[in-house]
Amino acid sequence: MIFRPKYFFGETFSNLKRNFLMFFTAITTVAITLFMVGFFLVIVYDIQGILGSIKSQVEVAVYLKDNITDELRVYLENEIKSWDEISEVKYISKEQALENFKGEYEGSDILKEIQGNPLPASFELRLESPEKVDLVALRFIDKDGNYIEGVDDVIYGQSYVQKLFSIVAIVGTIAFLIIAVLLLATVVLIFNTIRLSIHARRKEIEVMKLVGATNWFVRIPFLFEGFFEGFVGSLISVIFLFILSNYFLIKGERAVVDTMHIKDLAIVGSNNVILYIYLGLVAVGGLIGIISSAFALKRYLEV
Amino acid sequence: MNMIEFRNVSKVYEDNTAALRNINLTIKKGEFVFLVGPSGSGKTTFIKLLIKEISVTTGNIFIAGRNICNLKVSRIPQLRRNIGYIFQDFKLLPNKTVFENIAFALEVIGKPGYVIKVQVPQVLKLVGLFSKMNSFPHQLSGGEQQRVSIARAFVNRPPILLADEPTGNIDPVTSDGIMKLLSRINLIGTTVAMATHDRSIVNSMRRRVVELEEGEIIRDQKRGVYGV
Ligand SMILES: Nc1ncnc2c1ncn2[C@@H]1O[C@H](COP(=O)(O)OP(=O)(O)OP(=O)(O)O)[C@@H](O)[C@H]1O
Ligand SMILES: [Mg+2]
Repeated sequence: MIFRPKYFFGETFSNLKRNFLMFFTAITTVAITLFMVGFFLVIVYDIQGILGSIKSQVEVAVYLKDNITDELRVYLENEIKSWDEISEVKYISKEQALENFKGEYEGSDILKEIQGNPLPASFELRLESPEKVDLVALRFIDKDGNYIEGVDDVIYGQSYVQKLFSIVAIVGTIAFLIIAVLLLATVVLIFNTIRLSIHARRKEIEVMKLVGATNWFVRIPFLFEGFFEGFVGSLISVIFLFILSNYFLIKGERAVVDTMHIKDLAIVGSNNVILYIYLGLVAVGGLIGIISSAFALKRYLEV
Repeated sequence: MNMIEFRNVSKVYEDNTAALRNINLTIKKGEFVFLVGPSGSGKTTFIKLLIKEISVTTGNIFIAGRNICNLKVSRIPQLRRNIGYIFQDFKLLPNKTVFENIAFALEVIGKPGYVIKVQVPQVLKLVGLFSKMNSFPHQLSGGEQQRVSIARAFVNRPPILLADEPTGNIDPVTSDGIMKLLSRINLIGTTVAMATHDRSIVNSMRRRVVELEEGEIIRDQKRGVYGV
């Protein structure tokens, strides 16, 4: 069969014009559902981002007694390094600590009040698995509930870290379930809209087939139509998503981030992943349109 | 040369209606055959089998020597492009003009635009509807719609033309016009099979008559009349 773009585009657009209401319904359906899918994806992605930033900042500071022997210190360092949960151990001597402190508060009055070196030496631990921060902290405590020899204090994260981990896990699971359901709903809705539009034209299809049209000849304008509906619908959803994430989400998240003192946070709309989500939505929209049309057509081609 | 051949063809519909029983019949190239018989005798079934709109239950049908019963699904469009079919209920598309309705049959088979521009007006002149080219089907009388459906069936100049009651619901004068048209199409070598209830047409034309009754051939006459 010769490919006849003029005929196929002509058919597609005259069909769209004729069934404008149907067309409008399909596009709106795609736009709304994909918008919701996209919205959840962005949220999940952002939560992942925030979580990642928090995780990377979870560290445990183990302050050492001033009178600790070098032997015990080296022994402790090697012991800590052997634990699975630990990814990095850094020893900060008293002098180093004072140095750091001075660097941080340069020019501030606080420096004048410091006599000698009141800062303790410490180990800074970075964790392989930040969720286990509690477990790691417990290892510095003996049977009687006191710190083990040579350790003065153990300080880690803030108390919300643990709660945050579990909340994020729950939110993530729920969001993915909702996305799966919404995607399914999108497929079913587009499938039905296109089936209706095909049904309204079953006579036309029958005549086409009876005068010798091949299945592909009948199919192509409907596939174009399905693609067009999915494509335009998803484009609209992306536009709304863009507006929403850039003007509302970012502000909201900044506020969250500020109250939680998280540094280096990847924020919505500001990176490639979000672009991929947008492109993905458009691709999914177009694909769902084509696939739904193909399936919806199957029954009507058997003439 | 045999254009159409039925060998022991039976058709039983899904609900066990036996529409055709053991039909044996040959139609030569260039012949004009009337299919007559009471309503429900199997005329439309006979015609539908030829374009594989439905399939035989048992037996074989040959068209130009090719057995169409074991034709691959992908070859069916090719078969239909060689057979013009005038439907009992016209089957014109209401949202397309007369020109578009006919052009559509050519587009479907991949004819280029410049061929369509030449052939459609030609066939419209043949059926006397050149001036109605841009009308929609609902703006035409029954007889005019009938002629559009003839034009569509014939625009591709198929070697076989099947007509299912092309003069049903049409006054005698218009019917005469349509019969003249079909005769002319037959004269240029097209094999024509036409199902009809119209006694006067059959009697005046004096062509071959095949009479069906309850799915069986009960009469096959060279220069026959409608009924005895
Ligand atoms: N799709 C179908 N399913 C079941 N039975 C059918 C179907 N089509 C036709 N029949 C039956 O098959 C028989 C022959 O029908 P057919 O349409 O071939 O008759 P016909 O000779 O064309 O009648 P008419 O002159 O009224 O057009 C009838 O008994 C009819 O009821
Ligand atoms: Mg009939």
